[in-house]
Amino acid sequence: MADLCINNIRMQFSGVVALDDVSLSVKESEIFSLIGSNGSGKSTLFNCINGFNRPQKGSILFGNDDLLKKKPHEIIRCGISRTFQNVQNIPFMTVLDNILLGAHHRIDPESTVKRWLSQKQRAAEEVMGLEILDFLGIVNYEQKYMAGQPYGIQKLTEIARALVGKPKLILMDEPAAGMNDQETYEIAKIISEIRDELGITVLVVEHDMSLVMSISDRVCVLDSGEVLALGKPEQVKTHPDVIRAFLGDSADA
Amino acid sequence: MKGRYEDENLTWIPILIVGIFLLPFVLKGLTYSYKYYLFVLNMAGIYIILTVGLDLLSGYTGLISLGHAAFLAIGSYTSAILVDQVGIPFVFSLFISPLIVGLFGFIIGFPALRITGMYLGLTTMGFGFIVKRLIIAFREWTQGAGGLEVSFPIIFGYTFKSDWDNYFLISAFAILAVVVSRRIGKSKIGRAFMAIRDSEQAAEASGVNLAKYKMLAFFISGIFAGLAGVLFAHTSHFISTDHFDILLSIYFIIMVLVGGASSIYGAVLGTLFIVLLDYLFVPEMKGWIQEFLNIEGGDIQSLLFGLIMFLFIIFQPTGLYGMWLKMRIYWKLFPFNPKKKFI
Repeated sequence: MADLCINNIRMQFSGVVALDDVSLSVKESEIFSLIGSNGSGKSTLFNCINGFNRPQKGSILFGNDDLLKKKPHEIIRCGISRTFQNVQNIPFMTVLDNILLGAHHRIDPESTVKRWLSQKQRAAEEVMGLEILDFLGIVNYEQKYMAGQPYGIQKLTEIARALVGKPKLILMDEPAAGMNDQETYEIAKIISEIRDELGITVLVVEHDMSLVMSISDRVCVLDSGEVLALGKPEQVKTHPDVIRAFLGDSADA
Repeated sequence: MKGRYEDENLTWIPILIVGIFLLPFVLKGLTYSYKYYLFVLNMAGIYIILTVGLDLLSGYTGLISLGHAAFLAIGSYTSAILVDQVGIPFVFSLFISPLIVGLFGFIIGFPALRITGMYLGLTTMGFGFIVKRLIIAFREWTQGAGGLEVSFPIIFGYTFKSDWDNYFLISAFAILAVVVSRRIGKSKIGRAFMAIRDSEQAAEASGVNLAKYKMLAFFISGIFAGLAGVLFAHTSHFISTDHFDILLSIYFIIMVLVGGASSIYGAVLGTLFIVLLDYLFVPEMKGWIQEFLNIEGGDIQSLLFGLIMFLFIIFQPTGLYGMWLKMRIYWKLFPFNPKKKFI
């Protein structure tokens, strides 16, 4: 079973405690949402899972792998890939090459050398990316350069790059940020499809509440580095602590 | 599903290669001073081998190197010493010397794991000064600042004696360098390089080992520079530390930038442009301008060169390759884009 278990993580940047004793577990093939106000530690938690930040205390386990012992580039081999809050694409590469970057660990040196010698191997490599493009429905973009593509396509390319590595768990940092209602709806559909058709666990950070409540199996609310509430969307929505933290204290009113 | 490259038109490549090998015969038929043109083209060919490697390092990976003249120097001196003093055949030196220079690149790659941008430029520049000093210091091998005479290249008993012979040797290796570097740039390695340049986070999250690939970039770049050095030493017969100046390193970076960074064809075009400008057009124009302005002497040549560079960077920041792409789009849309400029 490949569950993500985060146990008593504490992450401190000199004076600022970004995460304080956070524990949660993400079960296999569920859509798990992290919500919370700015600075509540959502992205820091992602960076801890991804190896960009090293927590001072606690452990993060994925299946049998201890993620805190891995270097950032080894995380994807454990089956975890991620997208970023601000799109991190390579502008002077085509959309297809951007996606194939995510397949870096799937292409062994032997097939790279073969690719230098024969066109067939090259096509075989590209098929990896084209499959994902097909899945996301942006097939006509593969030959275009990343620079100057609309924001929606850039976001989808990031998701495609995360998917092409065949992960078991995908971390999505605000997939619907800066998108209109139509695009948000499509992102929601894609996230559900990633789970239903590909069987990939999704851990998502998002500010769009309608998106979070409609697709999530479970929701975790973070506030100033602590877990405020954790449970099914309906439970979290009506949780007294959450209402107090985000809407103010109703008892006084 | 169909691959992306299957419908790409590649017929122009063999035509170009045949053209490259026919060029000396055409030049010989056209002009009496064809030997000088061949000398200039040989120089361009050697520099092309180096700049495509530099493009992989500085253009693709974004690690600025101002020490490539030093790599060229190490390649030249290593091969000169190996062939003339140790007695290894030239053919073996063609493989061994670039590898040795690659190892030097590997060593220079260590600081690059921590520093980037201008600071890396300064570090590599420092490396250039150190190498120059060291070459002078190892007097019994390198003959110090006096320079070193080098033997002719001999491959399977054939001695390459003139610029005419060297042209074929150098262009064969230049074509090989362009093909190999393009293959590297278009594969997983090239993608990892570009990802390191534009977003280290995305690269790491995609499984690129930053340290390994930065070192690899220096190693590959060193191999290309080493090969250029071997050919330079044996085809010019004489090497001295004066040639491997800091200015040469800066010229190499200019060649890559003028061609358009992170495109191999761009590096080739940029190198040809700078070398032809420096050796052919500016000397031609010099006399004309001196007559026009009615002045004598003075360093008009550097002035003109600098002016052309200055104007080029301001008006064509995308480089020669970007210019070519724009021209191609213009002709594709031809009658329907009257308002668009040609270049």
